[in-house]
Amino acid sequence: MSAIIEVEALTKSYGSKRGITNVSFQVEEGEVFGFLGPNGAGKTTTIRTLMALLRADAGTARIAGLDCWQQSVEIKKLIGYLPGELALDPNLTGGQILEYFGHLRGGIDQAYLKQLIARLDFDPTRKFRQYSSGNKRKIGIIQAFMHRPRLLILDEPTNGLDPLNQQEFDRMVNEVRDDGRTVFLSSHILTEVEQTCNRVGIIREGQLVRVGGVAELKDIKHYEVTISFVEAAPAEAFKALDGIALVEALADGHTLRLQVSGGLDTVIKAAAQYSVVTLTSHEPSLEDIFLRYYEHDGLAVKEASHAV
Amino acid sequence: MLFRSIYLKTLRDFRVPILGWGLGTGLLMFAVLSAVPSLITTQKAREELVTLAQQFAWIAEPVHVDTPGGYATWKYGFTILVMALWPLLVCSRTLRGEEERGSLDVLLSLPRGRGRVALEKLAAVWTALLLMGLIIGLLAFGGGQKVNAGISFGDALLFGLNLALICAVFGGIALLLSQFTQERRTASGLTGALLFAFIVLDMVHRVVPGTEWVSRLSPVYYYNLSRPLVPGYGTDPVAMLVLLALSLLLSGAALVLFVQRDLGGVVALPSFLRLPERKMSPEQALPVNAWSLRSVYTRGLAMIAMPTLWWTIGIAGFAAFTVVIARQTEKQLADLYQNTPILRDLLTKVGGSDINNNATLLSFFFVFMPVLLMAFAVTQTTRWSSDEEDGRLELVLATPQSRLRVLLGRFAALATATVLIGVLTLALTALASAATGFALDSGHLAAATLSMIPLGLLMAALGYLFAGWLRTAVDTGLLSFLLAIWFFITFVGPELDWPESVKRLSAFYYYGTPLVNGLPLGDMLGVLAVTIAALALASLRFMRKDVGR
Repeated sequence: MSAIIEVEALTKSYGSKRGITNVSFQVEEGEVFGFLGPNGAGKTTTIRTLMALLRADAGTARIAGLDCWQQSVEIKKLIGYLPGELALDPNLTGGQILEYFGHLRGGIDQAYLKQLIARLDFDPTRKFRQYSSGNKRKIGIIQAFMHRPRLLILDEPTNGLDPLNQQEFDRMVNEVRDDGRTVFLSSHILTEVEQTCNRVGIIREGQLVRVGGVAELKDIKHYEVTISFVEAAPAEAFKALDGIALVEALADGHTLRLQVSGGLDTVIKAAAQYSVVTLTSHEPSLEDIFLRYYEHDGLAVKEASHAV
Repeated sequence: MLFRSIYLKTLRDFRVPILGWGLGTGLLMFAVLSAVPSLITTQKAREELVTLAQQFAWIAEPVHVDTPGGYATWKYGFTILVMALWPLLVCSRTLRGEEERGSLDVLLSLPRGRGRVALEKLAAVWTALLLMGLIIGLLAFGGGQKVNAGISFGDALLFGLNLALICAVFGGIALLLSQFTQERRTASGLTGALLFAFIVLDMVHRVVPGTEWVSRLSPVYYYNLSRPLVPGYGTDPVAMLVLLALSLLLSGAALVLFVQRDLGGVVALPSFLRLPERKMSPEQALPVNAWSLRSVYTRGLAMIAMPTLWWTIGIAGFAAFTVVIARQTEKQLADLYQNTPILRDLLTKVGGSDINNNATLLSFFFVFMPVLLMAFAVTQTTRWSSDEEDGRLELVLATPQSRLRVLLGRFAALATATVLIGVLTLALTALASAATGFALDSGHLAAATLSMIPLGLLMAALGYLFAGWLRTAVDTGLLSFLLAIWFFITFVGPELDWPESVKRLSAFYYYGTPLVNGLPLGDMLGVLAVTIAALALASLRFMRKDVGR
């Protein structure tokens, strides 16, 4: 596989405000790449620089070997783009908007367009201003997919979609991947990225802190597990288990709170030795993971966290 | 402090318009009042001015025009009502505009009733109008004092108050209409048309005897019943109360409707007033061959089609109206011209020749044509910056269209509309000339109507240029200021005997008097060159800048 997106030391600031700093990564053709990060981390800035909506202060960004700023028109022939916030002419109907962008792209396959409309159960007869946020998102997704682009750049694509449409969107992304085309999508939802992406890049405070396969995410993924026992269970029984980062006995004396990385199998088996009243598992937000994982200037807390 | 309530926050948002409109209009009054003594240095000149004003009574009722207050009141009888544009824009934006943006949702989630939120915003508009009136009154008082015009402090303040009241009426109309429209633009457009219609309605009784009852239907009529700057005339308290009652009634009705309707929805009209709903199946919803969706240019044309229609009716209609007026007063003015040095001087300066030429009088009116076309360009060019600011260009620029192509496509659409207005104005004026038998040189008429086009394009190009750096509100403000200052230089400058070098600073200077002297080719080419330069700079800037909200 060859790289379709090549970003090298990309830097963009907004006056004195931070944008992105020295961001470098590559996306291979045919993969689904997730760009993860909390709000304000620099995901949209990176995407808008790739789309030549922003001009980089330093560094290079290339798509299919073409410079993103100098050859943006050529690049946009290859791309389907969904912005994070969709703003369109409020007086046009959904159908008119899709036709307009179809014309600007030099014509599209009408049959495929109708297929996409049907798949996302989208009503193109209403004016844009009358659409709910979910329907606005659908029209954005349809216009990004409708010309079968070689590369899809999607900024938080499922934001506002209901679960059914999210599933349909996942299927559409998988089809694109199976077709050998590429998807670059940003998200702040870890599970979404896990389900659809081959590789991920994690950005925090404008800097790319990690790029790797989805499987590698598991080592930073923590669960918070709270177990209430009929009678007090010894914390020591859990501290020695694999993947345990922290064990904390709560004040009632019957409850333990554990931080677990990786799978929960060993924890559940250990808990089964005692009479359990309730067991709840909570997946922390990406924000929590970042805070925990990178709270000391990029030093992995993980390294020290095995000392319970 | 200014963020403690909706009222104070809204008032804070108005601080620039309060100063801008207040000082702008106030300085205009100050300048005119100060200039009057230089116009009437002798008894003969005084008598001539009075006779002249009688011939132009359609502008405003001439009362004691030989006094500074009387002259200023007559001369700016209806043009001062341009100030009503601010409340009509603000009141259509204050509820409907915020609903469109979705910002009212958040505001109404606060523990405050809808009525109170709307009332606080409306109170801020009224306060702003009163402050503008106060500034205008103070400056009018200053102008009067400078020339010992006998205008008391109280009268000057009443002048400002009267102006604020008529403005509040048009604000109330806009607020009410915005309850029935999905978009603020529709409400402000309709109110603008009503402002124009009411001004004409008020004129009717001064042109056609025995039609006062018609003019009474216009709020402008009640505004004109008070003339506080005219010594000894004073105010008509009943007329001012009528204006106050009207503004309260209109605004009150708007608030009641706003409280009762769905947020983001409109007040349901009776079924016979509603447009029939067009049912469409999803299969029919993809208009493959719609002309307006084929390119950025055609889409741009479709976006400005409706405002272009209304502005064409206004501009071409006004041009034809001036032909009819010139034809009707031709004989009287010719007589007056022979015996009135002031008129002769004025027509020669502004009209460009003597009254023996039919075109001279019409030329005097025609200098307003480029002002109107440039105002049209200002209103439409700001769509470009607002589209960028609101993020509507983002997806267009994500298609394989170059930035230059997108900008030029949109500019070409506005240029097409501007040319269309010029050509239709020519057609309608020629028609009016032929119908009334008012002989005009067809070449000069074509020059007069078509040479306003480069000025419209200049304004559009400047709008695109400023949009490269400025946000929509500042862009609009700057363009409006430029238009106002050029207007001031060209139409007030001669009265203040400003030097030629200052007059050259105004774009209107280069329009000249084409109806009399033909096309000022060199000047027009100069304007076009500046337009092209501004557009080239705008393009360069847009091609290099960050596109963003």
